[in-house]
Amino acid sequence: MEGFRFKRSFRPLERTIELMLLLAASVAIIVSIAIIYTLMDGTVAFFSAPDVNIFEFLFGTKWVPSGSDPSFGILPLLSGTILIAGGALLIAMPLGIGAAIYLSEFASPRVRGILKPIIEVLAGIPSIVYGFFALLVISPIFRDLFGASYFNAASAIVVLAIMILPIVVSISDDAMKAVPRNLREASYAMGATKWETATKVVLPSASSGVIASVLLGLGRAIGETMVVTLAAGRVANLTFNPTEEVQTMTAYIAQVATGDIPPGVAVDAAFAVGMVLFIMTYIINIFAGIVVDRIKAGKRMKRTGLTGGLVKVIGAPGRVLSKINIGAGLKKGAGSLRRRYRIGIFGISMTGSSLVIAIGFLAYLVHYILTQGLSGIDQAFLSEIPHYIPDKAGIYPVILGSVYLMLLTLVISVPIGVGAAIYLTEIAPDSRHTRFLRRIIQNLAGVPSIVFGLVGLTIFVRLFDFGISLLAGSMTLSIMVLPIIVVSTEEALKAVPKSFRDAALALGATRWTTIRHHVLPNAIPGIMTGSILAMSRAIGETAPILFIGSVFAKVPPSGIMDPFLALPLTIFYWTTHPKAEFHELAASTIIVLLVILLTMNSVAIVIRNRVQAKRDW
Amino acid sequence: MTKENGPMAEGPASNGYLKVGNGKYALDLRKVNVHYGSTHAIKDVSMRIRENAATAFIGPSGCGKSTLLRCLNRMNDEIVGCKTTGTIMFKGTNILSNKVDPVALRHTVGMVFQKPNPFPTSIYKNITFGPKVHGIRGKDELDEIVERTLKDSALWEEVKDRLDDPAMSLSGGQQQRLCIARALAVEPDIILMDEPCSALDPIATSKIEDLITELKERYTVVIVTHNMQQAARVSDFTGFMFLGRLVEFGRTTPLFEKPRKTLTEKYITGRFG
Repeated sequence: MEGFRFKRSFRPLERTIELMLLLAASVAIIVSIAIIYTLMDGTVAFFSAPDVNIFEFLFGTKWVPSGSDPSFGILPLLSGTILIAGGALLIAMPLGIGAAIYLSEFASPRVRGILKPIIEVLAGIPSIVYGFFALLVISPIFRDLFGASYFNAASAIVVLAIMILPIVVSISDDAMKAVPRNLREASYAMGATKWETATKVVLPSASSGVIASVLLGLGRAIGETMVVTLAAGRVANLTFNPTEEVQTMTAYIAQVATGDIPPGVAVDAAFAVGMVLFIMTYIINIFAGIVVDRIKAGKRMKRTGLTGGLVKVIGAPGRVLSKINIGAGLKKGAGSLRRRYRIGIFGISMTGSSLVIAIGFLAYLVHYILTQGLSGIDQAFLSEIPHYIPDKAGIYPVILGSVYLMLLTLVISVPIGVGAAIYLTEIAPDSRHTRFLRRIIQNLAGVPSIVFGLVGLTIFVRLFDFGISLLAGSMTLSIMVLPIIVVSTEEALKAVPKSFRDAALALGATRWTTIRHHVLPNAIPGIMTGSILAMSRAIGETAPILFIGSVFAKVPPSGIMDPFLALPLTIFYWTTHPKAEFHELAASTIIVLLVILLTMNSVAIVIRNRVQAKRDW
Repeated sequence: MTKENGPMAEGPASNGYLKVGNGKYALDLRKVNVHYGSTHAIKDVSMRIRENAATAFIGPSGCGKSTLLRCLNRMNDEIVGCKTTGTIMFKGTNILSNKVDPVALRHTVGMVFQKPNPFPTSIYKNITFGPKVHGIRGKDELDEIVERTLKDSALWEEVKDRLDDPAMSLSGGQQQRLCIARALAVEPDIILMDEPCSALDPIATSKIEDLITELKERYTVVIVTHNMQQAARVSDFTGFMFLGRLVEFGRTTPLFEKPRKTLTEKYITGRFG
């Protein structure tokens, strides 16, 4: 008998690395706990104030945070939120689903290749830019046409609808594209027109994806801060009249952040409002998650087992078609066929025109900003400091502040996000706690950005005592962009063929060696693209750093503990400035921000295309 | 051997066939069972695999032959929810034991996959990855390994002037021979091959088959194939698997000429599968 062979070696390096990756993945849990701690802490402080009680908070109809007789009834904030988010959804739903039908069913590949990126551009524009546009362009239209007040819900609704449009379009489009061809063919074979097939077969079959897209859009609309803060106003009105001024939950928190609220119970109230906001968006996102998971599970089921798959594939068109009474239209004979075609042509032009609306909006936004801001951009503007005299004002320290903020965010968030993704896909795929972690991360992605602002204030500024510093700002942005980095890295890792891993493992490589030499190098371009997109999100965000950025930072930060000012914050301050000259400065700043974003996105696209051209697997 | 232990590659020494290999056994499988979640993929397989001989597993798709092969280097460990029980003795050690490090085991049991899977690097780096992992760093030594394994895999003449070319620029058959060279570079005792020719054309297939015949002089080869002619051409022993069970196992020629089980006969005469 020979001795025992192939003894397990200890491999301390390997263990250490796996432990670190687990820690990175656990950051998502820590962040979730930090959010709940922050909101609980402030909420408890709020309700322990002498003249506050939970009944009045939940059912009171007056929200008057300051003054001699403060009152904290959340209903006006809720009605404002529902009016704006609901209104935006009412516009975005038909437009978005229509656009998705057109893109998925009727657009030629070439047209689709042009239109889809334009819709994606809408998603990449920072919300502060939409807010600027809502207040200075859309709001005056409602004032002139309907006698709306200076701040009004309607302008926020319209702009918010365009903002959430990309979410509805891209997820609905994906769902419709995923509907199997044989369903469409079955419908054509029964004599249905293209339009009938699209609306009566494809759309119902993709309904769960469409529902998910609408839910995610709603979550985004409820959580959006800057548009409503700038355009809808600062007075909590219990009204559903869109021409009036209203305040949403997010806008109240932003009002606290910008210092219009006296310290004390009114500030604590922001945390209670944040709690309600967090719970609402969390529930919506959980529902959306369940719908999305169900779609994914359904697809998996169809793939398992040849026979089972065949039954499903053959059975599916029949089941869908039996529900949909296409035959009814056919019975009416040849005369109605012309009518059916006319309906189709009308429908196709309607869905196509929803895309035209979106593109027209984008074109006018870009045109307006360029005409307002381009003339203001000169050497002085880029090299001077912010000044109270518009002619002398520049944004030099602001650009540097934003760049430093982004770089520090990169340094903090990318290692953690990439580590977490490696842990989730490579070290512990598909175990119960991985699924739990993944769900936590998905839900973090849906948390409104202003809630991260509250967390940053409570945890980084106060608890860690970083003060209003670059470090506190970067950490706040880091926890916000973490889910983006994790998800994109996971996708990049999953795209590396399993055969590379098998080959390395079969040669006796350890798990970490396999990841280090054969998985990561092949995933680097994808990780880089995802990280750049996450950083462009970070540099464009306003709400999370409203609490932390400092108006008084007139010099670029020279260390991580220094105060800073960022481009979106400057746009915010200048847009709200009473003097119109500052609005032009805001437009100039927007151009600078958009140029930075455009550059970053171009780099991401170049990396992606280069690698796709070079890739031989 | 009792029936429950399944068929064994045994026969009286006087059965008239030529002695194959060195007469020793490389692997001894006893009551191996594999479960994937609720699927019972391998049922009570027991068999002994000869050293320095080629053993083939045949059977219809989904019969478990690849799963059984992947037990031999613990590749099934990499599949979530896969559980293997039983014993597989290799050099006096049960390689299914918890105490066995699959990473260490795979130094000795190499594997070639169904689809050629070279790393997207150079030909040279594909081969040196394994030795480097095992601590060989010297340039001369690595050069020597590359040359020797490429010669052993009958690829040297075709690539010796372009070792730094990307491995993906090779043809499918060349890629598969590179994968064999890569497996040889870690100096294994056993080479597992999971349908190594299923993605190749007939000419490339014939080259790989010649190679297998050469390799079994020095290595123990275990090959999974759905191609019965291939099993007949390259292997000394054949195991026929069906629905997770090893139905029949024995010397290749009698198994194909005079199968003992009707199920085997039906399969090799093409009456099902």
